[in-house]
Amino acid sequence: MQEKLKKLKTNALKAIEAVKESVALEDLEIKFLGRKNGEMTSLMKGLKDLKGDSKKAFGQLANEIKTAIEFAFKIKKEELNTLEIAKLLKIESIDITQPSLPKKERGHLHPITQEMRAVEDVARTMGFIVEDGPELESNYYVFESLNIPEYHPARDAQDTFYIKDNPDWCMRSHVSNMQVRLMQKYGAPLRAAHPGRVFRNEALDTTHGHTFYQFDAIVVDKNLNIGHLVGVIKEFLKAIYKKDVEVRIRPGHFPFVEPGFEMEMKVVFGKGKNAKTKWVEIVGCGLIHPNVLKEGGLDPKEWDGFAFSLGLDRLVMGKYQLEDIRHMHSGNIKFLEQF
Amino acid sequence: MLISYNWLKQYVKLSDSLTPEELALKLTMSTVEVEGVEIQGKNLENIVVGEVKKVEKHSDADSLQVCSVNDGSTDHQVVCGGSNVVEGMKVALGKIGSKVKWHGEGDLVELTKVKIRGIDSHGMICASTEIGLGELFPPKDKKEILDLSDLDLKVGLPLVKALGLNDAVLDIDNKSMTHRPDLWGHYGMAREVASLYHKDLKKYNSSELKKGKGLVIKVENKDQKLCSRYMAVALSGVEVKESPEWLKQKLIAVGLRPINNIVDVTNYILMDLGQPMHAFDARQLETIDKTGHDKRITVRRAENKEEFTSLDGSEYILDDSMLVIADEEKPVALAGIIGGLNSEIQNNTTTIIFESANFDATTIRRTATKLGIRTDSSTRFEKSLDPNNAELALKRAVELVLEMCPEAKIVSNIVDEKKFSLYAGPIELSLEFLNKKIGIDLEKKQVINILESLGFGVKEKKDIFLVTIPTWRATKDISIPEDLVEEVARIYGYNNIEVKLPEFPIIPPKRNGLRDLERQAKDIISMEHGYTETYNYSFVSPEWIKKMGLKIEDHIELDNPIAKDRPYVCTTLLPNLLENVEKNMHYTNSLRLFEVGKVFDKNHSGVRAEEKSDELLPRQDLMLTFVYSEKGSKTPFYEVSEVVSSLLDKFGVDYELKVSKSVSKSMHPGREAEILVGSLSTDVQGKEVIGFISELHPQVQIDLGIDERVGMVEINLNNLLKYVKDKMDYNPLPLYPVIERDIAFVVDKTIVHKDIENSLREVDEIIKSVELFDVYSGENIDRNKKSMAYHILYRSDDKTLESNEVDKIHKKVVKVLQKKFEANMR
Repeated sequence: MQEKLKKLKTNALKAIEAVKESVALEDLEIKFLGRKNGEMTSLMKGLKDLKGDSKKAFGQLANEIKTAIEFAFKIKKEELNTLEIAKLLKIESIDITQPSLPKKERGHLHPITQEMRAVEDVARTMGFIVEDGPELESNYYVFESLNIPEYHPARDAQDTFYIKDNPDWCMRSHVSNMQVRLMQKYGAPLRAAHPGRVFRNEALDTTHGHTFYQFDAIVVDKNLNIGHLVGVIKEFLKAIYKKDVEVRIRPGHFPFVEPGFEMEMKVVFGKGKNAKTKWVEIVGCGLIHPNVLKEGGLDPKEWDGFAFSLGLDRLVMGKYQLEDIRHMHSGNIKFLEQF
Repeated sequence: MLISYNWLKQYVKLSDSLTPEELALKLTMSTVEVEGVEIQGKNLENIVVGEVKKVEKHSDADSLQVCSVNDGSTDHQVVCGGSNVVEGMKVALGKIGSKVKWHGEGDLVELTKVKIRGIDSHGMICASTEIGLGELFPPKDKKEILDLSDLDLKVGLPLVKALGLNDAVLDIDNKSMTHRPDLWGHYGMAREVASLYHKDLKKYNSSELKKGKGLVIKVENKDQKLCSRYMAVALSGVEVKESPEWLKQKLIAVGLRPINNIVDVTNYILMDLGQPMHAFDARQLETIDKTGHDKRITVRRAENKEEFTSLDGSEYILDDSMLVIADEEKPVALAGIIGGLNSEIQNNTTTIIFESANFDATTIRRTATKLGIRTDSSTRFEKSLDPNNAELALKRAVELVLEMCPEAKIVSNIVDEKKFSLYAGPIELSLEFLNKKIGIDLEKKQVINILESLGFGVKEKKDIFLVTIPTWRATKDISIPEDLVEEVARIYGYNNIEVKLPEFPIIPPKRNGLRDLERQAKDIISMEHGYTETYNYSFVSPEWIKKMGLKIEDHIELDNPIAKDRPYVCTTLLPNLLENVEKNMHYTNSLRLFEVGKVFDKNHSGVRAEEKSDELLPRQDLMLTFVYSEKGSKTPFYEVSEVVSSLLDKFGVDYELKVSKSVSKSMHPGREAEILVGSLSTDVQGKEVIGFISELHPQVQIDLGIDERVGMVEINLNNLLKYVKDKMDYNPLPLYPVIERDIAFVVDKTIVHKDIENSLREVDEIIKSVELFDVYSGENIDRNKKSMAYHILYRSDDKTLESNEVDKIHKKVVKVLQKKFEANMR
């Protein structure tokens, strides 16, 4: 009996040694160690016929041999596994430059939306409420409340779209229509940005649109002066451009501010030796006209304010070097998908 | 407007070390925007007055000549293609090393010795356009070289010196001075310059007018509101001829073409004082009496349909909103805009009548706009000119004519019909207010100096300045203390003000719910569902309104649309989005587009038009609209419906779809649904429609030129906002395992998924989810039937379910399906 065991061991170890694939190894495991008909199991069945010491000795030997065979299987399994994984890895090497198929379409946000958000977020972090209002607006909020009297050139039909059968309404020609609305709604002190879509009766060409986007903001508080206006807008621009900026102001005329300014920023064009700096108009601004504060229900003796306005289209045009402003409203997927 | 540096120096002494560019920057930073500075005679080095000594034909080219040109000391052989070159002619000789523009185009090129068709050429005989003098000496044809023979110039002199080209011209952006009527002439600009450089401004001298004999001018001003002042005087003995050199040069410098001495004088005054004038030929004005001594001029409104021909020959039909200057019979000028052809100065005119007047700015502007004529005159009048300037201008004009025409004299009375008053102040300005607004600490003396240099009168009364406004700033520009803040600050220098930050309390700003919702919705639809955002105009055409089955009368119309074919304001974003689909589907296989924008609802009211008025603007809700179309996609409805589901789920909004009764004729009647939200426990009445899901009607789709089916969704974000929940529901993780059973059955096509789902969910509480995973109709299924397959998940909250417990409930499920929906199990 013990001889049989020893022979089994020799056979098993030899067979294990010879195996090349894990499937064959599994078969072998069943053949030798299978619980039902494995050779080991069959031999072990003879145990019940033995007694006493020989039973004990046989049992001990059987256990040793079983452990040895199991160990051999384990080692072989690991060995084969390593080999097979190595083979698999070799077979499975892929073209890493190939895209995932079929192509998955991504969505895109309009460049104006992206720019609007960037600027809006700057405004919020600086404590500004951000709010829009009517695009079809009364002449009162677009003009009268902003110190633009009836016969002012800015109200001419060649600049503003008016509404048929209601001469007191128009498509707002600037987002400043929100200035007095916001003052009436929130009172003072106030920090509010009011970006949005505006309309001008202008012929379309590569740099002019009849529909465009402004980002305006007002600050109403006590003891505000020109130095504050420059300081706040400068911080604003620094955050938008994510770098330090150099600015200066020069006279600019808007009826709803007094004094009014054009703020210019120093911009570098070109690179290296050919780099040139130029002052570029970037923000229209000014101290809020006392008449406008009055319309907003505020006493100009008590409150000061300043307002500023950025053209979002121009920011986008500059950022991407767009050749034609009309692309913005073309609905052309080839344009929109680039953002 | 162009401003001549030399002209300014006539009135203010500027340091020699100051450059025109420095002045330009100073003006830009303090007064008006200077867009450019043109230095006259720039790049004219090595170009001299030459004399053509000899002209011979080029042996090898018919159109070329070989010339010998003397430069004062030596002769140069020059090959020349000029059509007008002759011996003895004085020309502009570009020597080797000079810079020219070939044929007046492109960049400057430095001349070197060259061979032209085999013959050496040492330099060039220049055309005016080749050396930047095209405006001063306009050539008659392209091949004409600049002929300087008439000018009596010394041969050999550098051209710059010979022609006295030492001026610089500042190009001012007109838009930057619309609020400053006083700056539209050199004298006003000089006043600014004097103030900016702390210099004295020369007094504007002009001698008094003395009335003469011979003519009586009677002016009848029928509309003093539109014409606040009308001055006129007649001069006879006038000789109409070329203006003297100094005058021509001044006008050319500022971009005006010299015409004759009389017209040139009015143009000079225009550019000098900013006061437009007009000169009539006295012969052409109809007289009252037969003797011709009595001239009557009427300032009146035009008659409706009255005809007028301007001096450039253009014909206009006038109306009664316009003002004309007329004689007994006809209009002779369109007041303040342009003179009439019928009274224009002729070469043989000897008696002229000068007009110097002031017209109402708005009338001028509106007339000019209506008729489409913009002149230097109208541009100035529409800025509200100082009526006092009319007198100064007339005096100076007469003085100049008398200087130029020794025979001339005043032969009439001096007409001065006027009625005007200007607000001269005083404005009360406190030093404290001024410093507070600017953010600096100016001293009294500085403030007084600045204001006085600009012509303001300043009196001190304790700590208050009493400031009187000079007439040229009083027409509309200055009236309140804030206006004076601007004056002081800009002359002091805006960029000398210390930049500071205000002190504000640290408080987070209020959030705007609609804006937040808009942003989240855009993110979800673009980032999670692959939709691309588009921006369309807010305007639509009547054709599209009809195509969409909408009603024209529901649309607000523009009074003055720019695109005549799109006069209506949109009530939905769909038409323009569908137009996008049509255009884009030509070069893509699948398209997902969305837009968020306001639509304009004539039939519902929005916010107030004014705070204290009851008038309400049309409602302008923010719409989220999206469309989907893909080659081969037969029911894009489901795709867009899925997006709605994901979107509303994110916002914690429960909704129901209800078969809708045709939102519009452009929708597929079998594939449209209203999105209902609100308390879902109540009946439909308590719910609100916040939008719809649909497909484009197949016929409309074909009509629009779209090949594939289009799924469309519109959600009113203003309405949705009311139902958005901040906090989402959370269910604790289940403790016991789930058992899944699939079930497939055939039902009638009219049976809808939602009903099946709801019924099965009600069968027992251990049914945790009922999920449709397949719908099939076609082969092996009755034509009116469809096969549906569901995953049903069973789970108990209290224990691990035994298989037989699930079987029991699953049998119930089958029963419900059979009983309620007449389903045949597969």
